[in-house]
Amino acid sequence: MNESRPYRRPAPKDWWAKAPYRAYTVREMSGLAVAGYGAVLFAGLYSLSQGPESWAAYVRFLQSPVSLLLHAALLAAVLYHVKTWFQILPKTMPKLILGRAPVAQRTITRVATIFAGACSLALVLITLGVAR
Amino acid sequence: MPDPAKKTIELRILRYQPGVDAAPSFGTFEVAGAENMSVLEALQTIKDTLDGSLSFRWSCRMAVCGSCGMMINGEPKLACSTFLRDLPPGPVTVEPLNNFPIERDLVISVGGFVKKIESIYPYIMPKEPKTVEQGPYRQTPAQLAAYESFSDCINCMLCYAACPQFGENPDFIGPGAMALLQRYNGDSRDAGRQKRLDTIHGENGVWSCTAVGICSEVCPKSVDPANAVNQNKTNSAFDFFLRFLRKE
Ligand code: SF4
Ligand code: FES
Repeated sequence: MNESRPYRRPAPKDWWAKAPYRAYTVREMSGLAVAGYGAVLFAGLYSLSQGPESWAAYVRFLQSPVSLLLHAALLAAVLYHVKTWFQILPKTMPKLILGRAPVAQRTITRVATIFAGACSLALVLITLGVAR
Repeated sequence: MPDPAKKTIELRILRYQPGVDAAPSFGTFEVAGAENMSVLEALQTIKDTLDGSLSFRWSCRMAVCGSCGMMINGEPKLACSTFLRDLPPGPVTVEPLNNFPIERDLVISVGGFVKKIESIYPYIMPKEPKTVEQGPYRQTPAQLAAYESFSDCINCMLCYAACPQFGENPDFIGPGAMALLQRYNGDSRDAGRQKRLDTIHGENGVWSCTAVGICSEVCPKSVDPANAVNQNKTNSAFDFFLRFLRKE
C-alpha cells in the first residue's frame, strides 16, 4: 500500500520566546530603545519650539531621577543593539575577498565596531569642546 | 567498571504511519551497546533487531549526502555525524525535521524544497557558450573564494528546520535554496544573475527573512546560508529601483 498522507505538525506560536531564538528576540526588542532615544530627543525639539517655559520643563525632566534611570536603561539597550547590529553586518554584505580568501566575519565586525566607537567618541569630544 | 560497549541507551522516536495513525506519537527503544554509535547506527540497529517498520532516510553515513537530517534532542542534526556519547546522558529524543510535513516516521516531504531549488536555475548560465575546442572557463582563486563556501551545501535542509519564518510560510524560498542561488550568482563564469534575482523578490523570496540567523548556526557544512539570504535583500532592493533604468 502506497499511501502518502503527510502529517503537518502545527508550528509553535511561541518560538521567539524559546532558546535559541530568544537572543534574536532580545536583539530585535533592543531596537525599540533606539526609537525611545529618538522620542526623547524629539520631545526636546518640540518643547524648544513651544517657548522658554516649555524648554525649562523639559530640562527639569531630564534632570529628574526617573529620566536618569530611563537614560541608563536606554543606553544599556542601545549599546547591546549596537553590538548585535555589527555582529549581523557581515551577514548582510557580499564576501570581502582580500588576496585569495574571504575576510573573516569576526574581523569585519571588529573593525566596524571600533570605527563606529571612534566616530562616537570623536562626536562626544567635539560636542564637549563646542560646549565649553 | 561497567563495559562501555554494553551500555544501553534509550531512544524516544516520533512515529507516524500514514493511513494508520491519526497523529504522530513517541515510541521508546532500548539499544544495547550504543555507547559508540552514531544516532544513525542506533536507528539502523533498531530497524535490524527491534522494529523493521521504522522508517528513516540515509545514504552516505559520512555527512556528505544530506539525507539523514532529523531533530535530535530538539536540534536539527545529521544523524550520521551525531554520536550518542556526545549527547547528555538520559533518553535521546529523535523527531523528523521541524517545519516539514511528515511522510512516515522520520521521513519528511522534500518535494517543496526540490521545487525551490529548481526555481532558481541551479546551473551556470554562461554569457557566451564556449565550444570544447575553445577551452575551459578560467577562474582565479579570488573568484573561487567569492562563492566557494556556498557550493558546500549538501541540501540537508537542517537550515529550514531551524527557520521560524519557513515554519510560518512554507512558500518562503528559505536558506538552503538561497545558498545555492548565491553559489551561482557569485560565480564569475555565470551570467544568469538577473534571471535568478527575478525569482526572489517579494514575500516568498528573500523578504520573509528577518535575520534570525540560526540557519547558519545549525548548518553542518558552514555554508552560512544567512549570508546568502541577507546579501540578496540588498540585491533585491537595488534591482527593484534600478529596473526602470535598465535597458533589456
Ligand atoms: S545551507 Fe547548510 S543546513 Fe542548509 S541545506 Fe545546505 S548544508 Fe544543509
Ligand atoms: S547519511 Fe549522508 S549525510 Fe548522513
